Amino acid sequence: MAFQIESLIQDQVATFTLHGELDSLSARVFQTEIEKIANQPIDSLVLDLEDLNFMSSAGLRVLIYSKQKIGPKLSIYIVRPQELIVDTLTKTGLQHSVTIVDQYPV
Amino acid sequence: MESKSFPGTVDSLDALREYIGELSQQAGLAKKPTYSLKLAVDEIATNIILYGYQEPGIEADFQVLSEIKDDKLVVILEDIAAPFDPLAKELPNAQDLTLSLEERGIGGLGIFLTINGVDEFSYEYADGKNRNKFVMKIAAT
Repeated sequence: MAFQIESLIQDQVATFTLHGELDSLSARVFQTEIEKIANQPIDSLVLDLEDLNFMSSAGLRVLIYSKQKIGPKLSIYIVRPQELIVDTLTKTGLQHSVTIVDQYPV
Repeated sequence: MESKSFPGTVDSLDALREYIGELSQQAGLAKKPTYSLKLAVDEIATNIILYGYQEPGIEADFQVLSEIKDDKLVVILEDIAAPFDPLAKELPNAQDLTLSLEERGIGGLGIFLTINGVDEFSYEYADGKNRNKFVMKIAAT
């Protein structure tokens, strides 16, 4: 399924809504969006993954990149991820570095 | 064995996952093992495409061989890139996986997910080809 991403930046919160499948091709698009906000005063990154059906390690690498690029104070919220994506986050230990929520604001 | 070719570019990954989905359906795999197999094949194919073909400037296809045999779905990725054994790479250990995002290195997660997601994974180099083999057990219904 074709990947799509929508972004909204408001009050130091960057919200991205991801649709489709996040692989090493679409991760480039995602990373470009992160690069655009890297120099802005963002304190929370909100990723709505309800419509994301697949995420490979290329997607995980963008999460790692976000934190390293934007800064250690960045909070990452993952909204309504599908069960199999939560599995990937858990297996790789990344669930400790993000907050999984049903909605944002929490 | 059934065989299908894909061009060695990242644009093939979408179609590759769809094909793995079809094979899994034929084998009667449940949703979770289907996803794990798609993820494993995607990760290895990505390495073949980016590091086996694109980096040295090789334009070539890779093959997906498959068969359903003895309650197992066997999928083999075959490529003509330089020999590369994914199992020879050091995987993140338990301690690496507890590191915060700031402290993480970005390598090794794909192969970790591959090995972790399938029932058997093996690699061999024979007849000038890398062969990455994935085996999923088909649960009795």
